[in-house]
Amino acid sequence: MTPEEFAERIKAKFEDAEIKITENKLPHPRRRIWIEVSREKFKDLVKVLKEIDPTAQFSIIIAEDRGDKLTAKYHWEMFWEQGESLSVVVGTSCPKDDPVLPTISDIFPSTLPYEREIQEFLGIKYEGIPDPRRLFLPDDFPEGIYPLRLDETGITPEMVKNAGHPYRVWKEKKGVKK
Amino acid sequence: MNNKVEYWVKIPIGPIHPALEEPEKFIITLDGERIINVDVKLGYNLRGLEWIAMRRNWIQVLYLAERICGICSFSHNHTYARAVEEMAGIKVPERAEYIRVIIGELERIHSHLLNLGVVAHTIGYDTVLHLSWLAREKVMDILEDIGGNRVNYAGNMIGGVRRDIKERHKRAILDMIYYYRQEVMPKVEEVFLYDPTVEARLRDSGVIPKRIAIEYSAQGPTARGSGIKKDVRYNEKLGVYPDLGVKPVTPKEFTGVIKGDVFDRMVVRVGELWQSMEIIERALDQMPEGKIKAFPKDNMIIFKLKKAEGEGIGRYEAPRGEVIHYVRAEPGRDGPAKWKMREPTFPNLFAVARALVGEQLADVPVAIASIDPCLSCTDRVVVIDAETGKMRILTEVDLLKESIKKTKEINPNIKAKPERIGIGRCVL
Repeated sequence: MTPEEFAERIKAKFEDAEIKITENKLPHPRRRIWIEVSREKFKDLVKVLKEIDPTAQFSIIIAEDRGDKLTAKYHWEMFWEQGESLSVVVGTSCPKDDPVLPTISDIFPSTLPYEREIQEFLGIKYEGIPDPRRLFLPDDFPEGIYPLRLDETGITPEMVKNAGHPYRVWKEKKGVKK
Repeated sequence: MNNKVEYWVKIPIGPIHPALEEPEKFIITLDGERIINVDVKLGYNLRGLEWIAMRRNWIQVLYLAERICGICSFSHNHTYARAVEEMAGIKVPERAEYIRVIIGELERIHSHLLNLGVVAHTIGYDTVLHLSWLAREKVMDILEDIGGNRVNYAGNMIGGVRRDIKERHKRAILDMIYYYRQEVMPKVEEVFLYDPTVEARLRDSGVIPKRIAIEYSAQGPTARGSGIKKDVRYNEKLGVYPDLGVKPVTPKEFTGVIKGDVFDRMVVRVGELWQSMEIIERALDQMPEGKIKAFPKDNMIIFKLKKAEGEGIGRYEAPRGEVIHYVRAEPGRDGPAKWKMREPTFPNLFAVARALVGEQLADVPVAIASIDPCLSCTDRVVVIDAETGKMRILTEVDLLKESIKKTKEINPNIKAKPERIGIGRCVL
């Protein structure tokens, strides 16, 4: 399937999706499809991707803070059995005061660790995520602080608590100062 | 159900080990000898590179990208450079593309030889470890000759490469390939394809079926060992790779069957050693003369990229699997507005965690080592008895003892000592 055929097939089902095809200047030209879709239609589009190629390989979620909204771009590699594959990037976004996106880990299970990563770093809440635990940040990291948001102020001294270090516990028990 | 729970034992493996560039914690739940659940916890070495990159310019990020990993040190800045070139529409000279292929394949040879040694060590074949690492010195010397360093050779620049391959490098590389074909590869094949003990130990351990590998997006030799014919160099039509006849290597060409176990992953690595040498020979043969950089001076790159706007994705097949980098540029900025990368160990870890379910504890070192994050040199293991709450700490040596004991049951002649050698993926 060529990128144009693929774009037409998506366009027929999702009229409001923005689709553009880029080409790089390598010795062997390589085209990539960039799709932008609203978060209401996003899950339906992912289902269509799975229908078109059930063996599509999911690669990465690129999530970003763009001022008043949070964006997430998902990369898929499709038709890899047929030699030259199709590189598809599907982007969606949510407003910053309502940071909710639907989870797609029920369609592509390999997205789960990436969703957990974005949930803790950018504060996008994934609706219906089966495993909302933290992956990278420590368990005693303060709630409501998202390190990769651009307006992040960091951890204030009041938030720093005893992390359970044995020496600190001993000091508190004995009442040792400094 | 309730009676059963009392006999379950939870074993966290990790996270702190000085020899890992990416400390990971595997919390393994055991029912007797069988593993019934594996949970992964990451982030013990989070360096905040994406945040640092927002404060640097385009060329400084190139060197930051190289510091992600010591072994894949060419892969990461290669991929980053490709992402920037795609974003800004920079055309790379053809000679530079060939030099990128040659250095990338030399790196693949040394990484695969390292991993073959590590896997041999985890099953008690220490002689194989020392010999394969000795053979690896030869390719490291050549990389040092070309780049000036054994690791982090900083070969890439946006729009080309920084160092040329001269006539004496060409001769040294061809000598090295001759030595590998005559001396090293027959011995490697004898151990990893035909040795009965190795086959008995590696067959049917850590099996990832094809369906699971697709579901968990396994990459690189882990995926190809399960029969997924996927290679970014081939699928992406990367650089000049299509002119060099690159094809995904699967174990079917060597053994006739695909099972997706540790043995198959090792067979893929042996096959890729052959393939890499062939690609290097062809690349040296076809390499045209010409310039190696699109920009004669480095500050011209920042000048051009300051006006650029858009986003680009770079992908490359590192020795362990697909590396993917994303950059976004805003006009008027010296550096990337967003830089995001993913290395192949991340999806492979979750795939192997799934594959370990149903295996024995003795297979944990070899199964995790086979995806090449080298967790076999686990520093310590805490065994928590769920019933009494008692804790006992196992070191790396104890875990290796388990593994070597299993090999000795198959072949009593093994005289390996479970020693901690501090296998380092981290060379910084």
